[in-house]
Amino acid sequence: MERFRSILENFHTYAENWKKRSGGRVLGYYEPYMPEEIAYAANILPVRIMSRHAADDVTDRQMYGNCYCTRDMLRQFINGDYAYVDGLVNTEGCQWLYNAFQTTLNSKPELYGYYLFMPDYPDGRTSKDVLRSELDIFKCRMEEWTGREISNDDLDRAIDVYNENRRLLRRIYELRRADHSVISGSEAMELVLTSQIMDKSEMNEMLKAFIPELETRKPLSDGVRLMLIGSETYDVALEKLVESLGANIVIDELDNGSSYIWNETIPQKDRLMALSLRCLGRPHSALKDSVWRRRPDHIYRLYEDFQADGAIIAKQIYCHPHGTDMYMVWKLLRERNIPYHTFERDSTLPYEETRQRIAALIGMIEPGITRLSGWSNS
Amino acid sequence: MAQEYWKWPESDRLSEDVDWRKAKKIVAGVDIGTTGSQAAVFCDGALYGSANISTGYDFKAAADCVMSRILEPAGMSLNDIESIAATGFGAGNVSYASKALDEVRCVAKGARFMFGPNVTTVVDLGGQTTKAIRLYDWDRVRDFTFNDKCATGMGRNIELMADILQIPITEIGEKSLMAEKDPEPVSTTCYSFANPETVGLFTQGFKEEHYSENDVLASYIFAVSWRILGTIGKLQPLDPGDFTVYGELAFTGGLAKNIGITKRLERELYKTALTSEYDPQLAGAIGAALLA
Repeated sequence: MERFRSILENFHTYAENWKKRSGGRVLGYYEPYMPEEIAYAANILPVRIMSRHAADDVTDRQMYGNCYCTRDMLRQFINGDYAYVDGLVNTEGCQWLYNAFQTTLNSKPELYGYYLFMPDYPDGRTSKDVLRSELDIFKCRMEEWTGREISNDDLDRAIDVYNENRRLLRRIYELRRADHSVISGSEAMELVLTSQIMDKSEMNEMLKAFIPELETRKPLSDGVRLMLIGSETYDVALEKLVESLGANIVIDELDNGSSYIWNETIPQKDRLMALSLRCLGRPHSALKDSVWRRRPDHIYRLYEDFQADGAIIAKQIYCHPHGTDMYMVWKLLRERNIPYHTFERDSTLPYEETRQRIAALIGMIEPGITRLSGWSNS
Repeated sequence: MAQEYWKWPESDRLSEDVDWRKAKKIVAGVDIGTTGSQAAVFCDGALYGSANISTGYDFKAAADCVMSRILEPAGMSLNDIESIAATGFGAGNVSYASKALDEVRCVAKGARFMFGPNVTTVVDLGGQTTKAIRLYDWDRVRDFTFNDKCATGMGRNIELMADILQIPITEIGEKSLMAEKDPEPVSTTCYSFANPETVGLFTQGFKEEHYSENDVLASYIFAVSWRILGTIGKLQPLDPGDFTVYGELAFTGGLAKNIGITKRLERELYKTALTSEYDPQLAGAIGAALLA
């Protein structure tokens, strides 16, 4: 676990070293709908642009009013932390991320930039064909940029590596279930975040060695089992706070958490169509769930499957996708009498205030919990 | 020394009806909030002593001071107390407490003691946070909501306004009710906007031409009340879409002493809040003592 943690904490160093080692290019991306396999097939390392906690004195002129995360992404580019990144891709989605993408390209014109259209209605009748044609153009652009043709074999290799990574991380998630909960919420989140900045084939080898070790761990005493819903986060401060109060986050529904790894690409002869279907079939992000509402059902299924006792909705302040979608989640939770608490977070997690809230939520849930006999953590 | 317009009067009280030396069980609760700190001591289930002071910048000193305001006049020591529970933002600074409890549970418990067992909705109007708590018929929290970013420090902001406008904080609420009709509220999204907007109403000549001082205060307090309503509205309704306050309503916390806020909230909620003989700021400390 320490190796994964160290890579996550020093993700800039990891990507710089990867670049030196492989001679490949690094492509930063912002949105959850990024078809990473196409870039990976061209020996490019796709890395998720992640925010960090740091004093921001440079982005006010460009991005005043955006959420903290997107502002910090720009800050890191301006400060040179992302100097190893050769290009940026943004898929159609969050306006703040788009703003971060565009403003970064404005201030760093040397970067390659590509804007990938992603249908607003993933379940629409024509969406899979539209996205397939967009992926085709994206593939051509990647070939032009790298001067290297992406063959079907390259795509197959990339799809296999990514599918294996998702499968291994799903295995980690399975180890959070109530009957054999051996991994804490913070550890699981660290692993998923690490996968978004690491070369997946390298990570797969590490995971294959780590999972058997994990399976022999003594089951945790979860206490109150909580689900985390809300805006993307790039740290595990909240998970750790929950654990410090004797509870555990046993499942999440975050774009860069479980949703990132939830579905695999189902191979078919038309590789781009296979990728198109995976992108569209992944758990809907809050922004893409406006017509055919699949997100509430997915949340409820996760909640039930992982036998959570309550939910935390943590919304990043100024996060408009979750700001508008949160009410549908409230409705779902209320109708099913699921205890939950919603709060807004900023660049840092205000420790004492958040502790009060989470402690109150745990205090509200705890007296009502009855565990069936045979639960390892009862 | 210049007048401290922002400061609520501090208080301490010992019951003459209770002799702590004869008590079989003495418990205490300490609530260290961001603006005010309170302590309560119970002897065999009866409230014996209470104290309410300003926290200041040093949570630990406040924790020591507020308890000494009961112990010293009573001739009691910490060793006489069987169990002490701490709550509030500064709960971790109460070195003499045997346990730390969350504020929501303590305020709910305290409100049931202060206002009676029929309370089902408690609105705690604190210095840093507003909390709306819905209780089951028995002493268990059913749901709670906090105010979020852009609306923190509400009580603290009213203290700030009292100082800026040089109007004693104890008078702001009453003055705001003297306006004939509530004018349009100032910004209800963020206190950082509401405060300068209110000051602007004074400085632009508004006061002379359009508003009286009471009107300006009404505009400000009206905005604060609307913001609190938003927090109450986020509580889970018994039926979807129904925001009625069921059962009895009680206000606790420092701003519960601001009649301008409580009356406006009652008006908007179509509900008259319960009253109590106790200082509403004591709810957290009383609840902590009862749960100690």
